[in-house]
Amino acid sequence: MSSAEITSGVAPTKASAPTLSLPLRTIVLWAVIVTFCVVPFVLVLAISFGQKIEGAAWEWAFTGENYLRFFVGADWPETTTTLYLNRLYYSLHYAVIASVIAVITAFPFTYFLTRMSRAAQSRWLVFLLATMSLSEVFIVMGWDILLSNRSGLPMVLRETGITQWLKDVGWFTQLREWGLANPRDVKFKTSVVATILTMSYLVWPYAVILMYPALSRLDQSMVEAARTMGAGPWTVVRTVVLPTIRMPLIGTVFLLFVFLLGSYVTVTVFADPSKQTLAVSVYEAVRGSTLNAPFGAAQAIILLITGAICLWLGQLLVNRTGSSAEAKA
Amino acid sequence: MADLVLSGIRKNYGKVQAVTSADLTFAHGELTALLGPSGCGKTTLLRMVAGLEDLTAGQITLGTRNLTDVPAHKRKFGMVFQNFALFPHLNVRENVCYALTIDGVPKAEAYSKAGELLDLVQLSAFADRRIGALSGGQRQRVAIARALAQEPEIFLLDEPMSALDANLREAMQVELRLLQQRLGITTIVVTHDQREAMTMADKIVVMSNGRVEQFGPPQDIYHKPRNAFVADFIGRANFFEGIIKSGKIAAGGLTLDAGDLKFTETTPVQVAIRPEKVYLEDTMPEGNRVAATVKFVRDVGAARDIHLETPLGPMIVEYAIGENARSVSVGDSVEVHLPATALYVYPSEAAVRKAA
Repeated sequence: MSSAEITSGVAPTKASAPTLSLPLRTIVLWAVIVTFCVVPFVLVLAISFGQKIEGAAWEWAFTGENYLRFFVGADWPETTTTLYLNRLYYSLHYAVIASVIAVITAFPFTYFLTRMSRAAQSRWLVFLLATMSLSEVFIVMGWDILLSNRSGLPMVLRETGITQWLKDVGWFTQLREWGLANPRDVKFKTSVVATILTMSYLVWPYAVILMYPALSRLDQSMVEAARTMGAGPWTVVRTVVLPTIRMPLIGTVFLLFVFLLGSYVTVTVFADPSKQTLAVSVYEAVRGSTLNAPFGAAQAIILLITGAICLWLGQLLVNRTGSSAEAKA
Repeated sequence: MADLVLSGIRKNYGKVQAVTSADLTFAHGELTALLGPSGCGKTTLLRMVAGLEDLTAGQITLGTRNLTDVPAHKRKFGMVFQNFALFPHLNVRENVCYALTIDGVPKAEAYSKAGELLDLVQLSAFADRRIGALSGGQRQRVAIARALAQEPEIFLLDEPMSALDANLREAMQVELRLLQQRLGITTIVVTHDQREAMTMADKIVVMSNGRVEQFGPPQDIYHKPRNAFVADFIGRANFFEGIIKSGKIAAGGLTLDAGDLKFTETTPVQVAIRPEKVYLEDTMPEGNRVAATVKFVRDVGAARDIHLETPLGPMIVEYAIGENARSVSVGDSVEVHLPATALYVYPSEAAVRKAA
């Protein structure tokens, strides 16, 4: 914009028409960005410093109480609670593990996909893109039935005698320790395993679509060169394929991680109430039972900042290992 | 030491026959060039030797060992790829070390081996460079050093010069040949460039349409081409059609003596003669004379091509500088002499096709 002003200043008469249209376009663009991206965010930020009125709504204020409550609880310093920190922890915990699992399992699939015929590849990609149109609600409903204690997998395990067999060999007690069994039966609802698996399933097509370009561009002659130098299939993947697509791979994990930080339906259905996430808590505060918009806004801001810090730390780590590999070489 | 023997090698891709029944013996320490136009199956043959393609039929043996079903990573024949296929995430030294590193050779030992190899290809100063910071010629040397690091029994190169510019290519051909002779390693090079093959090879395999057309030393291939394809593909040749009549060739109203011919009467034949073997001089041997008109003279300095129109069809005569060609100018009526020993006579392709 500043360069446009300078040029209009230098040649005011001749170039007035084109220089006028450029700032106009820029102004419209900025107006759109500000209205739809900045204003909502600033509103949330402002509300997070607001105050709840008991029995009513909330009012504008400038108080740090909401943030204080998040970290140590409303009754601090009399009592301290880490309930919300705990929720933040589960937000990160689920998102990190689920995105890593999705990438680890989608990688071999995508690798073999890029080795199929062109026609087979496009069929798979169209199928995966189509599955993206399924909403989280729809997917969770399916998994809810699949994992439900009365009619899902636990029932199948019970009826086929596998549950009994698990009890006989003593692995059932191990499952109980992991929270995957009640006294009589195997159970998935509620459990961390079911939550994370469903989350992974949710983003799995995205993992494939995100890794596909990098893997299909991978130069096959590098793989063949490694083979002629004595590298078996595993060594090829470990020493050639993974290092070559390292950046796209890490990028995929980051993206899925951010996406999963906000997942709501999966957590409400599959996670134990004591292990629910900040996304659920934000929703409850803003729209749900507790009706405390300022506190919900504060939680949302903290979730956002934590996510950003995680990405920043992750990138720092990637750059460090990258540059140290370079320095070592 | 052991020779590499291919017997009855075939490769089909669906219904397409990429290689049809190749029987070849690569003698220990020799450099063999697989030469042919693109799509002739030479790269497929090389990849089968490397273990990167399965055979449809046939057997590959090295000495007493049958390698037919041994996977590429157990054969460990060093291979240089057309695009060099260097690993961009490793530097020059690590690329050269790759085979040793994955084999668990201690780092110090691997590095000293890499140092030797980089010395050999004159790249010691570049050991710490990233691959992206190298020129095409340097990349090729790294690829060669990398393939040699594992001390392979067989050294394979797939069109190694095609990514280099013309000047560098000729220098690298000589350099690669000297290196190969110094190491005494059995080497197979795929190329479509006959000068490259003639420069480097002990033996040349000429291929077309998946078939081995001729296998022999370069001079044999050049001076005794076994069929019209080889005569045409290696070097240049003038072709004309004729018919066998009483032990001689009847063509264009002339009767030409071509030495001892093993053809029955009235066989249609195709005759080839190399441009530099046609005489166009003031004093020439008797017989096999053909009247000609000069159409065009192409003088490229070191040599002169004289394009002629003859009763046998168009013909090119080449004279190098210093040879006693008669001076000609466009439009002259001249006579050329075709030495009987320089005429290559093959069954006519049309006749061969009819028989097949």
